[in-house]
Amino acid sequence: MWERTLQDLIRGLRANKKDESKFIAKAVEEIRHEIKSDEMELKAAAVLKLTYLDMLGYDMSWASFHVVEVMSSTKVHLKTVGYLAAAQSFDQDTDVLMLTTNLLKKDLTSNPADVAVTLNGLSHIVTPELSRDLSTELIGMLNHSRPHIRKRAILTLYKLLVKNPDAIRHARPRLVEKLGDTDPSVVAATVNVLCELSRRNPTDYLDLAPQLFHLMTTSSNNWMLIKIIKLFGSLSPYEPRLVKKLQPPITELISTTTAISLLYECVHTCIIGGMLQGSSGNSLAKLCISKLAAFIEDPDQNLKYIALMAMTKIVPTHAYLVAEYQDTILASVNDQDISIRMRALDLVSTMVDRDNLPSIVQQLLSHLVPEASASALPSAAESLAQHTTHTAPATYIPPSRSPAYRLTLCQRILNICGRNTYENVTNFEWYISVLVDLAHIANVDVGAEIRDQLVDVVGRVRGARQYAVKLMSSLICDDTLLRNAHEEGSCAEVLWAAAWICGEYCEELADPQKLLPYILQPEVSSLDPDTIAVYIQASVKIFGCWAAELAQRWDDDDLSHVKSVVESIMERASELVHSPHVEVQERAANAKQLFTFIKADLNSYQPHSRPTIPIPGPSSSLDDLAMISEPHFPKSLYLIQPLFSLYELNPVAPSAQERVPVPEGLDLDAWIVPPPPDPVPEPETNAGEKKVKKSKKGKGKEVNGSKIKPKKKKLIEVESGEILAPSQEYIESPEEIEAREKRKAERLMQQRDDPYYIIDDRPSNKTIDVDSIPVIRLEGLPSPGQEPPKNEFPSLRAASQAFSAQQFVVDRDGEMPEGSPVPAKLASTPVSRQQTPTVLGSPAQTSTLSSFPAYDVSEEERTNTPEPIKVTRTKKAGKKKRTKVSAQ
Amino acid sequence: MIHAVLIFNTSGVARLTKFYTPLHQFFLSMLRPAGLCNFLDAPELEAFLGPKDGGEDERWQVVYRNYATLFFVFVVDGAESELGILDLIQVFVESLDRTFENVCELDLVFHFDEVHHILAEIIQGGLVLETNIDEIDASVQQAARSRKESFASANPLSLGGSGLGSRGANLKTPLGWLTEKLTGVGAR
Repeated sequence: MWERTLQDLIRGLRANKKDESKFIAKAVEEIRHEIKSDEMELKAAAVLKLTYLDMLGYDMSWASFHVVEVMSSTKVHLKTVGYLAAAQSFDQDTDVLMLTTNLLKKDLTSNPADVAVTLNGLSHIVTPELSRDLSTELIGMLNHSRPHIRKRAILTLYKLLVKNPDAIRHARPRLVEKLGDTDPSVVAATVNVLCELSRRNPTDYLDLAPQLFHLMTTSSNNWMLIKIIKLFGSLSPYEPRLVKKLQPPITELISTTTAISLLYECVHTCIIGGMLQGSSGNSLAKLCISKLAAFIEDPDQNLKYIALMAMTKIVPTHAYLVAEYQDTILASVNDQDISIRMRALDLVSTMVDRDNLPSIVQQLLSHLVPEASASALPSAAESLAQHTTHTAPATYIPPSRSPAYRLTLCQRILNICGRNTYENVTNFEWYISVLVDLAHIANVDVGAEIRDQLVDVVGRVRGARQYAVKLMSSLICDDTLLRNAHEEGSCAEVLWAAAWICGEYCEELADPQKLLPYILQPEVSSLDPDTIAVYIQASVKIFGCWAAELAQRWDDDDLSHVKSVVESIMERASELVHSPHVEVQERAANAKQLFTFIKADLNSYQPHSRPTIPIPGPSSSLDDLAMISEPHFPKSLYLIQPLFSLYELNPVAPSAQERVPVPEGLDLDAWIVPPPPDPVPEPETNAGEKKVKKSKKGKGKEVNGSKIKPKKKKLIEVESGEILAPSQEYIESPEEIEAREKRKAERLMQQRDDPYYIIDDRPSNKTIDVDSIPVIRLEGLPSPGQEPPKNEFPSLRAASQAFSAQQFVVDRDGEMPEGSPVPAKLASTPVSRQQTPTVLGSPAQTSTLSSFPAYDVSEEERTNTPEPIKVTRTKKAGKKKRTKVSAQ
Repeated sequence: MIHAVLIFNTSGVARLTKFYTPLHQFFLSMLRPAGLCNFLDAPELEAFLGPKDGGEDERWQVVYRNYATLFFVFVVDGAESELGILDLIQVFVESLDRTFENVCELDLVFHFDEVHHILAEIIQGGLVLETNIDEIDASVQQAARSRKESFASANPLSLGGSGLGSRGANLKTPLGWLTEKLTGVGAR
């Protein structure tokens, strides 16, 4: 049987395209046989075939010993095959390399053809050991009689020096000598090597400057000049005097040379070498930028590309010069070539300032709008079309359609606007609308980033809140996002932000309750669990806000409305209680319990026009007296609102967390759950640790003393100051029902706060049929409690027109814990998530019962009175969301 | 320095791969219409281009040039001039053309070893060895001659690859191969 040659193998491969793997398996089998042959020719042919297969991706490491055998052949045509195979297949770990030292030594002293082959091979396979053993030989060969060998030796020496830097002391003087070699290519190779070496360690090569300078002014070899210029570019930052010396010749080169690559290299070196400083540098900078601008307008795309790259580097120092060419640069963002677009994007984002940001962002946004259709929303069909074009290999995807490009573009927009905490954004209403637009047209997965920025902006910029709430509520009402939530790139995470913002700042809404049906719609269940959890929370917040407001102007006619709303929320919550996601489940359960209570209260509420209660029971004059102190609205309407709006949520300064002192007695290093290996059960310590755990993980708003106490089913007598239940005010009322309700509220609160307490589904067994109670207006009764304040913020409710022209104040720094470093007095009530000082408990009734006055508190007052409770509020809506606000 | 030289045809089949820095996987999407710039910078490639994760200068770049059905791809770092590399690709192709006389894809398919030898005269270990086409051609010829002589001396019966010109001494005529086999059989 005839052995195949390489050509046969290739022909066979081409003939067996359908069954390539089988053919190759067969070929490799043959090769395995041939390679063991004693005959060198056959062995070499096998190695060559293997090398070819290696290029196609088949492993040949098993044959490395045979490769060395072929390398050792005395015939140069076989030796070449061996070295080629070695260069292609060996790596640093190839063990047989240890066997090659002597072979290489011998080959390096052989005839010139062998030496050339050996040097070339060695530069690929060199290892630190080989480098150590062979560097002396290599240094000696720098003086070889043939220039061809000399230049190869120089380049090989570089590879040796990379592997074995110690040799550089001996090699360097000889290397520098070669700068004066008679053969120009040897000089070029030397410059090449020096350029690489000085990139690694510029300061060591500063003293070569005169020689290089001489070469630069005398040589006409553009290749070498490019390298020399590059070399100077890496040297000049370390030797300021060099800059001065280099300026004239480089200016000369820039203005005279016809070689564009050299011209570009000069310009580039000027920029990165810091040669544009000072007065003389300024004119040079001008020259450079004018050349670059010419490149950008050049039809040659390559020039455009590199010019944009160079421009990006020059912007930090000479922004005003680049700004002259802004239009040209912006035009490049529209280029059909993605590489150019990316570079232009880089450049544009460095150029952004307060004035040009809106126009630039608008331009970038316009790239994201699908060209084909005028609609701003990507329809399902479009997304599908994009998907198919993406997977179809033969079609070329236009840059604006490529998901990776769109993603980069979106991130870039977010990035340039958000830079340095929105340094360049002047109109935040505009920015919020940009974010929403982006969510609509992005069509890639940037929803999470948009969400974070939305929440961040709204948290920091008070002035933009009203507008944001307006926009967000329309987002929630618009079911496009909801419908598309499952498609890739739908940015449904924005709904998270929308729900959160609407919930948190719902006092900005004129009719918060109108949003509830949208928030409670069953389609929401298709969203991400995190978002559902926020939706639940938002519904609770909105209800709280609305209910409190309703209570201010209570009319008994509202009762049925409130009831139906409560009913709908409960219905929704009970559906979600069965959600498989823990977070959703917990929120839903919380909401359900809260609303069970409210419902009970509403059911027991009797319109005041009825003087006596028809239910059987002890009806005495005392009861009638009690009625007088009763508020004229269902008290539970005030249950929720204070939970959310008592203290304002502010952005937290990045360093705030570390300033929070560790509370006394809390050992952060202590195990919460001790590691299992300890076989001895220690009930005592476990109990102790449980306490720590609770205090650490407690989710509650009021994680004060009572929280840390081990939970008991039996209700502990809680001091009136410690609870938030609205009934506090009427604590003097001895009515039994009320007391029970109060206790229930407390229990609910505690259960709600305790993640370890499994809430049982207590049926609300209030038996009063509210509908059967004739509704009669109760008149003439004095209104207990305080007078409901009038609606004090009509201005806030007014529909905002286009964009308000106001100045936006950005809270850039965020909030710091009070008095850090903490004075001794405060140290006992540190601000932390684990502990809430008793401030909460202190009967701050005015704000508890009605948070309306809080709206009028001026900003300064707000920010300057950091109430520790704010931090604890963090818990309520989940840790993640809140910390996002603080993330810078 | 230059980290890799690759040649692909338009359907993405590798015709030559040469890595000066070990890389274990490589992926290219090369379906770009003509008339775009020759520096590849697609976001998809970022993962490969930034293996060093260093500063600006450490970023690798793909510089390529298209000739007929072939893409010549160079992966370079910041020490190389982008435009210079484009010129270098031109030099490489011209040297191939001189050696093969009207080089076409098939030449590269069947003489991949020869292409490696030519490349070795231009780039060694990732550094540019020679840029002068005449010099390159001369050394290629010389190396080929010495290989041919060596082959001829080892196989006295062969026809010495006459008529093959500089197309490589390793290309054996069927007859040459036959005689070689005969001697091989005899030796066994």
